[in-house]
Amino acid sequence: MAAAVEDGQFLKQATGRNTRGLLRVIILCLIAGAAVSSRLFSVIRFESIIHEFDPWFNFRATKYLVQNGFYSFWDWFDDRTWHPLGRVTGGTLYPGLMVTSGAIYHLLRALAMPVDIRNICVLLAPAFSGLTAFATYLLTSEMVPSPSAGLLAAAFMGITPGYISRSVAGSYDNEAIAIFLLVFTFFLWIKAVKNGSMFWGALAALFYGYMVSAWGGYVFITNLLPLHAFVLICMGRYSPRLYVSYTSWYALGTLASMQIPFVGFLPIRSSEHMSALGVFGLLQLVAFVDWVRAQLPGKQFQMLLRALVLAVFVIGVGGLVLLTVSGVIAPWTGRFYSLWDTGYAKIHIPIIASVSEHQPTAWPAFFFDLSMMIWLFPAGVYMCFRTLTDEQVFIVIYAVLASYFAGVMVRLMLTLTPIVCVASAMAFSQILDTYLDAKTPKPATENASADTASVAAAAVLPDGLRSTRNPIVGIYSYASKVTVVGASAVYLLLFVLHCTWVTSNAYSSPSVVLASKLPDGSQHIIDDYREAYYWLRQNTPQNAKIMSWWDYGYQIGGMADRPTLVDNNTWNNTHIATVGKAMSSREEVSYPIMRQHEVDYVLVVFGGLLGYSGDDINKFLWMVRIAEGIWPDEVKERNFFTPRGEYRVDEEATPTMKASLMYKMSYYNYNALFPAGQAQDRVRGARLPAQGPELSTIEEAFTSENWIIRIYKVKDLDNFGRDHQSAVSFDKGHKKKRSTKRKGPRVLRVE
Amino acid sequence: MRWLQLLTASLLPFTALAAKKSTGDRFQDARAKSLSVGHPLQLDDASYAQLTKAPRDYGVAVLLTALEARFGCALCRAFQPEWDVLGKSWTKGDKDAKTRLIFATLDFVDGKNTFQSMMLQTAPVLLYFHPTLGPNAKVDTQPVRFDFTTGPQSAEQIHAWISRQAPADAPKPSVSRPINWVKVITVTVAVLGGITALAVTSPYLIPIVQNRNLWAAISLIAVLLFTSGYMFNHIRKTPYVSGDGKGGINYFASGFSNQYGLESQIVAAIYGVLAFATISLALKVPRIKDPRAQSFAVILWTGVLFGMYSFLLSVFRMKNGGYPFWLPPF
Repeated sequence: MAAAVEDGQFLKQATGRNTRGLLRVIILCLIAGAAVSSRLFSVIRFESIIHEFDPWFNFRATKYLVQNGFYSFWDWFDDRTWHPLGRVTGGTLYPGLMVTSGAIYHLLRALAMPVDIRNICVLLAPAFSGLTAFATYLLTSEMVPSPSAGLLAAAFMGITPGYISRSVAGSYDNEAIAIFLLVFTFFLWIKAVKNGSMFWGALAALFYGYMVSAWGGYVFITNLLPLHAFVLICMGRYSPRLYVSYTSWYALGTLASMQIPFVGFLPIRSSEHMSALGVFGLLQLVAFVDWVRAQLPGKQFQMLLRALVLAVFVIGVGGLVLLTVSGVIAPWTGRFYSLWDTGYAKIHIPIIASVSEHQPTAWPAFFFDLSMMIWLFPAGVYMCFRTLTDEQVFIVIYAVLASYFAGVMVRLMLTLTPIVCVASAMAFSQILDTYLDAKTPKPATENASADTASVAAAAVLPDGLRSTRNPIVGIYSYASKVTVVGASAVYLLLFVLHCTWVTSNAYSSPSVVLASKLPDGSQHIIDDYREAYYWLRQNTPQNAKIMSWWDYGYQIGGMADRPTLVDNNTWNNTHIATVGKAMSSREEVSYPIMRQHEVDYVLVVFGGLLGYSGDDINKFLWMVRIAEGIWPDEVKERNFFTPRGEYRVDEEATPTMKASLMYKMSYYNYNALFPAGQAQDRVRGARLPAQGPELSTIEEAFTSENWIIRIYKVKDLDNFGRDHQSAVSFDKGHKKKRSTKRKGPRVLRVE
Repeated sequence: MRWLQLLTASLLPFTALAAKKSTGDRFQDARAKSLSVGHPLQLDDASYAQLTKAPRDYGVAVLLTALEARFGCALCRAFQPEWDVLGKSWTKGDKDAKTRLIFATLDFVDGKNTFQSMMLQTAPVLLYFHPTLGPNAKVDTQPVRFDFTTGPQSAEQIHAWISRQAPADAPKPSVSRPINWVKVITVTVAVLGGITALAVTSPYLIPIVQNRNLWAAISLIAVLLFTSGYMFNHIRKTPYVSGDGKGGINYFASGFSNQYGLESQIVAAIYGVLAFATISLALKVPRIKDPRAQSFAVILWTGVLFGMYSFLLSVFRMKNGGYPFWLPPF
């Protein structure tokens, strides 16, 4: 980057704008290339595979779209998830991602390039990251005159781990395209505010509509743009430009967003969207007052008008509150509410609190994802206060809000990343521009000329920052220049190394396939997930219902193609709690639940053999908590802790724990692997009881190579009408303890 | 004399009314008493035994507690107002006594024997006695027990628990909290006073509010706080520091997703110094007129930046064991 800036300075005198423009295009292309290629680690190391959990659903939906066409995708009712409820998938998803890849698929076919839809899905996120870098360049170039800032910001955005974390190849999630849309919408909005142009406002609305169709995080835009407008009004910076851009964006953008079935009438009925509506109304008032003031001078009248605006504003807010209380406007949804009242989710919605992405962020995570930008960021924000133009106000607001959100939820680091890139690029380019200037000022004469200019400048800008009161002189000695530029180069180099290292080590694992190193350094692939899912696909009937915890629902649907009870679209808390209850209760309680839901197989993830810590026993407490939320009398979290408050799986585990279906399924037959009495759980570092658990209502059907996935088949009712316990003990040859004959009339078995 | 007789005769019905006060129906008695005192009944050993005696056609919810300061039961005292609100609103809301539930409190001072006979070591404990007669009777005579293991509960939470124990078809009067007039008045006065104060001081306040340096400071502090994990401390209630077991202090928590309060403040300070050095290099140094002073400032700020960044990297290496990058001094 430093070289590019140097070129730009050099060429200022020599050649014209064309050469610099060409250079800029080449640099941007190289940045896009770097952005794409740094996201390909996982494809090269493993294969072209969809990652994680949610992407599997998106992939399945995309396949459905490509096979059945757009209209049947729109009306898709999926009876293979949430058995027996089903899910109105077409109306409850954000279709932007699938439609985008479907469009690319058909475009490539039209160009006679038959590419597998899987490869399009895998590579969509890296491709869009190149576009994001370009959008960041545009956005930054609107903020400061220096072109180097834009190029730096693009480079930062291209390789920062904060964005790579959600956009590596195979991470086929909504965020893959949403971040590009977010940044580009902001660019269009800034452009609209600067020019007061209806054209740019309408374009912003168009891309806002696209964003709404792609990601639930669109609410961030819906609230940030009105906030920007509101702050500008409060600063007394109302202008017809603001009026034109905001009204055109709001009117068209709201109409566009209402076209998505999942969003529907939310923009006029839910609290999250009310700030946009309120600012729209306020802007009309302010515009009216502004017009009247121009017509009628007179101080008293202006006072009256100001009071009028204030009164209408207060009444409007009061009305909104009243409507919310009376229920006309839906209150904040739990997920958004928990952003403000941080203790809310933990008490009321354990299912939100249980997701690891919704945990608060500790400081190492910030440094891990943003590296040196984390301290350049405040400096960049400070520099915005120098001139504080309308668009720089936007940066300040965005920076403060997004850092709050990123602090509350790990996953919102993603919305913080673009502004960090923009602000730190502004700070860094300021340093580079200052110290890479080949001209050296002459002490005496330069001072005088600069002084006169600065006096004029100070007269225009009386309330600048303290650090910018004096006039700019320049850097005198070459030694200073070399020192600072050299240090900057070291920082940039370190930044690139950091980003590559983090991407390669932390964010390039598909999490479907695990990799480990053998003692000789070679790579060993642990492929239990796919092994188990393909076993299901090949050995069970097409309609066999699989019960598992909701994390694995999308993968079972995508890879095994079997109906599931619950999946990662957590729309029905009760249904999830039902599964949680079945997992955390005794077999006698679980069996009727499983029969009622026609469960054929139960799947659990067990990491005890391999030391894989993301397994079901570690997630078990959340199952218990969620089940307790619905059945507080039947499932009690307290019973899973020993009297001393420990969560144990060994000999001292509580009877409730040992009797629970989850415990039994995880450790069933596990001690057969070890010499007697030495069974060891390597995740929790516990020695298991010598006597392993016994199962009676289900039987082991499949266990993967490293025991990560265990699948059990739910037994049918006993042929002789016995309960399963006695049938099992009969098979084992135990005598019945009570030899009394059963009295009373025989009853017909009703199930 | 005649009129005296008439008078006595006419008073007879009232004596009947008066006599109704103690009918021998334990439920009605207890209910009337609890209505008159306005909070759950205060029991002692004798009345506890009397009220919870086995054949009963009503339910009883008894809170066993230890309110006196010498027992040092903070939980008991924290929960007592909630319990009174619950008992009062339930008894009041239950106009025709359909729920057939009595709320009562047994303090340790009045009921030592009861505590001993139940071998209670902790307080408070909430007991719910099912009716043993009548339509909602249960065979099990043992009371259901609620331990306050998860800390102080609100009246609503206990209400939900009692509602689950009570018969399904019985009405459940909801908790109604009395309006806190003092609070309402204080808030109103405070708001009005605040508005007045603002109006009076506005000539002095407005220049401050419009000061750009102030807003810059606020924004920067907010950004630094949030990016150094302040919200994590707030939500997880992390300890400020912890000892290392050898009498020293651990400033940095071990583990990548773990931190102490002081640790995040140190990190915020590091970020602040780094950002300030950057700002100085970018904005202040080019404005220094004296060449020698300028060179000195460049060396100073570059040194501070380099050293601090190196320190930051070393702290990060402490948190993340496998991190391979470092800069010279640290």
